[in-house]
Amino acid sequence: MSPKKLIIALLLAAALLAGLFVAMRSSTPAEPVAAFVLPAPLPLPEFSLVDQFDNEVNAETFEKRWHLVFFGFTHCPDICPATLQILAAARARLAENGHAPLPRIVLVSVDPERDTPAQIGKYVGYFGDDNLGVTGSLDELLKLTSALGIYFEKQAGDNDNYAVDHSAAVLLFNPAGRFHALFSGPHKVDDYVHDIPLITKRYP
Amino acid sequence: MRTATLLLLLLLAACADVQQPPLVASDVTITQPMPGKTMRAAYLALTNNTNEAIRISRVSSDAFANVELHETTVVDGVARMRRLPLLQVPAGGTVRLERGGKHLMLMRPTDAADKMSLEFFDGDDLLLAISAPLTPGSD
Repeated sequence: MSPKKLIIALLLAAALLAGLFVAMRSSTPAEPVAAFVLPAPLPLPEFSLVDQFDNEVNAETFEKRWHLVFFGFTHCPDICPATLQILAAARARLAENGHAPLPRIVLVSVDPERDTPAQIGKYVGYFGDDNLGVTGSLDELLKLTSALGIYFEKQAGDNDNYAVDHSAAVLLFNPAGRFHALFSGPHKVDDYVHDIPLITKRYP
Repeated sequence: MRTATLLLLLLLAACADVQQPPLVASDVTITQPMPGKTMRAAYLALTNNTNEAIRISRVSSDAFANVELHETTVVDGVARMRRLPLLQVPAGGTVRLERGGKHLMLMRPTDAADKMSLEFFDGDDLLLAISAPLTPGSD
């Protein structure tokens, strides 16, 4: 081959390789940046709690919609309001982006002694109208948290003034009412806005 | 020219001598109470303008009977809140009380007020007193 033809051949080969490279990169599917999607969604255990309207909450409650579930308590001054605010902001951004259907935000109380249905209802309502507050007996709560790997522990304090240590994670339940993905935190609005459409698009 | 330079140097030296308050607060945020609750949280930055560490052992307020310093930590996925007995602000440094970290818990309001004071003490020594507005909660 003449040098000129060789150069042309090399340039064409380079162009072909570059083209393939770009094509491969753009067809590689995007991955969640914060969520850990379970290899197989986990069914919820049998449990019976109540919501802010005194309706029973059990595994069936979490069917038909996506749910973002956080475990906290209403006497928590810092991380619980902060997390719920982030989830509410993420939901608002998803709505703005035209994402549908929107997930429902749920707060499950790890402080059933103080968190009555009315209390938790007022609290979650502060962060949005569609939010669900869940509370109930300690025994029933333990059935749910131990199945999900959620930890909580009441701390010593005087009378009504105590804190409860609790897992900081947010769990995503799918419309079959199963534990689908885990957001360990730190929680960022952008991460939820990025990951939720990705995850829901790939479902079932 | 030499006189001008000398005067300028003297002026700069004089400026360097201006006293700054030893402890300064900035970025003060007082949260609204949650519906049905009276407790608030306070976040702020504290700057130490001296060349020795400043120790804060007590914080009080005219608007709350109980003010406590707490810290949220998330370790191995578990959120914990612990009371801190004191706060050290390093020499020439700033400590930030912010969401997800250190914060002041303001409990048992003394009356319905639209502003509050915050006093920072080391023992009985008053280090700093500030005032902040209180926005009412929704109920």
